[in-house]
Amino acid sequence: MEPPVVTLTECSKRFGDRLALRKATLTVAAGETIVLLGPNGAGKSTLLRLVAGLLRPTAGSARIAGVDATSAPRSLRAGIAYAGHRSQLYRGLTARENLELHARLHGTRDFDITALLDHVGLGDRADEYIDGFSRGMLQRLALARATAHQPALLLLDEPASGLDADGRLLLDATLRAGLGTRTQLVASHDDELPARLGARAVHLNSGSLA
Amino acid sequence: MIPAALAIARVKLVLELRRREVIFAMLLFIAATIVIVHFALSGDTGAGSRAAAGMLWAAVVFTAVLGLLRTFAAEQEEGALDALLLAPIDRAAIWIGAALAQFGFLVVVEVVAVPVWWVLFFQAGGPSIGTVVVALLLANIGIALVGTLAAALALGARTRDVLLPVLVLPLVIPIVLAGVTATYGAFGEEVGGLRPLGFLALYDLVFVALAWGTSEHLLGD
Repeated sequence: MEPPVVTLTECSKRFGDRLALRKATLTVAAGETIVLLGPNGAGKSTLLRLVAGLLRPTAGSARIAGVDATSAPRSLRAGIAYAGHRSQLYRGLTARENLELHARLHGTRDFDITALLDHVGLGDRADEYIDGFSRGMLQRLALARATAHQPALLLLDEPASGLDADGRLLLDATLRAGLGTRTQLVASHDDELPARLGARAVHLNSGSLA
Repeated sequence: MIPAALAIARVKLVLELRRREVIFAMLLFIAATIVIVHFALSGDTGAGSRAAAGMLWAAVVFTAVLGLLRTFAAEQEEGALDALLLAPIDRAAIWIGAALAQFGFLVVVEVVAVPVWWVLFFQAGGPSIGTVVVALLLANIGIALVGTLAAALALGARTRDVLLPVLVLPLVIPIVLAGVTATYGAFGEEVGGLRPLGFLALYDLVFVALAWGTSEHLLGD
């Protein structure tokens, strides 16, 4: 049996006086898709950032493939993608330039950037600065960036926010395409998403896993 | 690591070319400083020329701080720093890329400022320009390295605009001392020969090593 891709053990995160995540224990198997549900401030984003290694737990541990997430080696980071509340793109660059930078940072020029942008419906805006993009367009571009290098672990934080109906269909299709083939952890306010994907739902409330 | 650092530096330089937010402010600041000090010294060409040499270094350092305050501004607008931290690159590449960009900004500023400084203060003959240029280039490397390191340290702080100068200025005092000494030497005065330049080179090497070893931790949570 394959070891879990993500292992949170009694993992807590405190910001000042506020405990954002309280002794969370969770394992995510290879190829599994989990939808994190919960109200605003429940700790979904904190959990995802801990898994991504962008935050250090105050107590407990967050491990990816058995390695402490904050010190994941480059080879492991190459297989992780995280799209958060913000697009993680550079304003002042075009959509194409943002994806070109992503390709360079991943040490490849193999991405078919035109195809990626066409896929997320931004083919005709490829050479526009993203400064003028709407929230939904930034989300689409962030989705393209997150999936461009075909990560083994995809972490998405409320990826549907700002998306129109077509964008939501695109997001569902992207997540469906990853079912069974990559590990996916998605924070969402869409209670029906787990059923639509046939994914496990995990509920968070006030920093605690239900 | 070098390709990643160059890619990051390139992005920062391209953004500056398009937005002109940092260099323009730096240019105005250093030009204003040089002109104000010129009038403050009332054209004194005796002790004043030595004071002018010191003034150049003070102006360069304060101008650099102005640029350093924006070191990771582009990465903070849409959270691009997260993408850099998650990229399969040595995290030192993020710091080196940012430092390269800062070095570039300083060079551009000095290409304009040094001739202005020269014309205003040294009509009757000044220091050897070659020595001053070498000293400035070595100092730029040190300021960019140390400043970017401090900018990374101050990144998470709410008061980073105040914290950054407090962190940077004490660390660059050795650069100012060596730069001023090298500039005095360039007037033909015997104040250490090439030793100040050697010191600046050593300073750069020490901070390359220090920042290389710590960038993994500095740029994380």
